[in-house]
Amino acid sequence: MLSPYGLDIIESCLTCKTRTERLFCDLPASALQAFENIKYATAYPKGAVLFVEGQAPRGIFVLCKGRVKLSICAPDGKTLIVKIADPGEVLGLSASVSGKPYELTAETVDPCQVNFVKREDFLRFLKEHPDACFKVAEQLSEKYNTACHEVRSLGLSHSAGEKLARLLLEWSSRNGETAKQEPRLKLALTHEEIAQMIGTSRETVTRLFGDLKKRQILQTKGSTLVIRNKAALKLLASNN
Amino acid sequence: MSRYYRSMESAIHQSCLECLERPDRVFCDMPAEALKDFDELKSLSRYPRGTVLFREGHPARGIFVLCQGRVRLSVSSESGRRLTLRIAGPGEVLGLSASLADSPHEMMAELLDNAQVAMVKRKDLLRFLRDHREACLQVVNLLSRDLHTAYDRVRSVGLPRSRRSRALRIH
Repeated sequence: MLSPYGLDIIESCLTCKTRTERLFCDLPASALQAFENIKYATAYPKGAVLFVEGQAPRGIFVLCKGRVKLSICAPDGKTLIVKIADPGEVLGLSASVSGKPYELTAETVDPCQVNFVKREDFLRFLKEHPDACFKVAEQLSEKYNTACHEVRSLGLSHSAGEKLARLLLEWSSRNGETAKQEPRLKLALTHEEIAQMIGTSRETVTRLFGDLKKRQILQTKGSTLVIRNKAALKLLASNN
Repeated sequence: MSRYYRSMESAIHQSCLECLERPDRVFCDMPAEALKDFDELKSLSRYPRGTVLFREGHPARGIFVLCQGRVRLSVSSESGRRLTLRIAGPGEVLGLSASLADSPHEMMAELLDNAQVAMVKRKDLLRFLRDHREACLQVVNLLSRDLHTAYDRVRSVGLPRSRRSRALRIH
């Protein structure tokens, strides 16, 4: 079935083709059937808010398709993007487990398919299925590692330029373009959003991009970014 | 030696089965069967203050359960500047996320006091968690808690109220 957002909705986890590649979803048959019984498959347009920071936890959201922006907010309205979650990730996990309010705000970047599971159902599911419990522990570990990574890059970088260089290198490595002489990456975020990822202003990001282009380190072709001089970018990233 | 100190000494035992502090600690308070297995897997050591349990970037050998003492968890930049994530106290489990995700440690753990630490190797831990679902749930709870404090730290570092307050947090 084709939904209004052009999403191909996967109704059942049992017949999902991408399941085996996903860390959480690759469950043994009995656990998968139990999960199938408690989940609700839902679709959201771009820009929909799944949950808000401070809200009491309703449950978990398994991201099937699309990407979700996870951010934290300061009382003065300043936003910091902690992560862009990819398909396969489970959102709202730690809040649902501990019962504390959601610590992040989750907003869809693309049209998304999300499988929602109510908190009580999820906790019961974890108790009954040790394999799922183990997978949740793995997911939480990875989230914890990224959070620590985030603290390091925000707290110990000297300049916005250093942080931007690091972010670009990280993205190119995630696309599997590291080995190439001139890695390419698709810039899916606006300058404003990049600014929120590295904790600076939109103006600074635009100025830094201009600067990198002028120095022939970067080249843009539409929304595709080509890293022309990887060595120089690496030097910027490790500049102390 | 006063009675108080003697009771402190006897509270922490070589064997987890006899430990008096156990019921108060989130991770250690597990069912009898799991506890017996854990007791066999762990190796107990005493370290002086200042000992580094693990360093950033090093592969995870296993987890460290802190029986006594405090540990400073910190991250550092290439130039050696250090930022404290938090101070962990008795009963906490360290190195859990790196062991489970099989990734290098994201932080450094350094003892602030003379401490007693129970270490469990990564392979043993994974088997233990698969065999004992209560312990696995416990670990999920612990990780959720850790993650909450980590996000609090992201907030305080990334969205500081002023430059001054941010500068004060760098040690």
